[in-house]
Amino acid sequence: MDEIQRERSELQKTLQGKGERPGGSLQITRRTFLHKSVLTGAAGVATYGWFPLIGTLDFLVGQAGGQPTAFKFAWISDNHLYPKEVNTRFVDKAVRAVKEVQAMKPAADFLIHGGDLAQLGDPVELDLGNEILKEVKIRKVFIPGEHDWYLDLGQKWTSLFGQPNWTFDHKGVRFVGLDTVSRGPDYWTAKKMSPKERMGHMATLDGSVAGSWAGVGRDQLQWLNQTLSSWPKDKPIVIFSHNPLYEYYPPWNFWVRDWREVHEVLRPYSNVTNIHGHTHQVLYNEIGKLRSIGMLATSWPWPYAPEGVPALTKCMVRADPGDFFDGVGYSRLTMNAASKIENEYVMWRKDTFAEAAVDSGCGDNVNQVLHPRIADQEWTYYGAYK
Amino acid sequence: MKTIRIGLIAAGVLVGSLLIVSSARAHKDKHTPQQLKAFEEVFMEQVRIGDLLFHGDDATAKKLNVQLSRTGMACAMCHPFGSDNHPHEFPKFQEQIGQFATLRDMINWCIEKPNEGVKIDSDSPAMKALEAYIYWSNRGSKLDPGRH
Repeated sequence: MDEIQRERSELQKTLQGKGERPGGSLQITRRTFLHKSVLTGAAGVATYGWFPLIGTLDFLVGQAGGQPTAFKFAWISDNHLYPKEVNTRFVDKAVRAVKEVQAMKPAADFLIHGGDLAQLGDPVELDLGNEILKEVKIRKVFIPGEHDWYLDLGQKWTSLFGQPNWTFDHKGVRFVGLDTVSRGPDYWTAKKMSPKERMGHMATLDGSVAGSWAGVGRDQLQWLNQTLSSWPKDKPIVIFSHNPLYEYYPPWNFWVRDWREVHEVLRPYSNVTNIHGHTHQVLYNEIGKLRSIGMLATSWPWPYAPEGVPALTKCMVRADPGDFFDGVGYSRLTMNAASKIENEYVMWRKDTFAEAAVDSGCGDNVNQVLHPRIADQEWTYYGAYK
Repeated sequence: MKTIRIGLIAAGVLVGSLLIVSSARAHKDKHTPQQLKAFEEVFMEQVRIGDLLFHGDDATAKKLNVQLSRTGMACAMCHPFGSDNHPHEFPKFQEQIGQFATLRDMINWCIEKPNEGVKIDSDSPAMKALEAYIYWSNRGSKLDPGRH
């Protein structure tokens, strides 16, 4: 067992008491039962054959006044829009997702945009995204991604979309939007970087200069703690964040650096679901009593990281790089009359999950060993966006 | 900065002279640590150039007179750390190309199709540098030619 596995095992023991699982009010369906089987039956080691080929995950969310309440909401994120004169492929996909969300029947109660609307934080890109999203007439809420933020440190984004963290209650569920991007370390002042140079480093997923920028921060942790303190411990909570609230793969900021503190704050609550972007891929994880679901991008899929893919994740298919609409999409989340929410990945292709290893975004990489890049450490190099 | 440049030039001259001597005496004498260091430096210089090209550095692309993308996309945006390049699996039948292909064929396919750039000569300095970076970032992977 390596160091990461050992630490995760210890955390699991600490955070998840005997017999505890995410969501005290969870209704065990065939699908979640299968996830439970993996957790308890094989020490967290997933086997493809144990999962059904489905595009949804079911879990019970909430009841308002003791009665089941049905509603839908939708998630769109990671559009990475460039100005139209650079390319329109990402615009086309964002427009398609927006039109499909608007056409949902019954209509979604709200749309959450999960960040990275822009590629390089350019006001032209953010304005373009804002115009596209205006086609959605239902309520919209927003959290930022790092690509939206680091050109002007959030000025344009906040002028369009408001505060980066917020909370509201809706039909028996407390929703929280977290800002996991704005508290990165200052890597630009000492090197006298221009705003574009700063953005260039931030926009490079596998760059090493921006460091561990993803985090919730002490002040926001206190805010989260206070925000949840008035909410019953067994009532459903859904937390939206751009980055996952657990440690998946730090070199690509597939985490928040203070995820342990986040879990401590959430520890008293038995029904918490984190829905996150940034990773551009199908992901599912349970740590302690928190379950996490990763959302698709509309722009392009990231490969699964070389290590840290949660054992509970059933990996998505390998995307065809020749088809710009492959491996991407958005999510419809539906609370049905039986008080279950289904997370439906809408991937614009026949199959979302892979069955055979040869078709899997994870299984295809069994012989692959990767190493971090080095050239961005050299003085005067600032990335592709100078 | 001037001092750094002079230092780099001096180092380049030293490496060059070591390599000339090495070429003349290839495999005739035992390798010296200086020779091995010089070989490594030649390789790593290509890795760095390939890394910059792979991550969309405009200055390096201009220097080598190549246009690898016209969409704003860089290779690393789909292949962070060189992932999913699978250099250890080439040559193989490549589905997108529809024929038996080398890594260099696939690099050019990505330049032309997803990136909408201009295909580069398969023996060009840019291609060799890209190849060097991709192999270096995937070092230690299990050689498995032909695997799909």
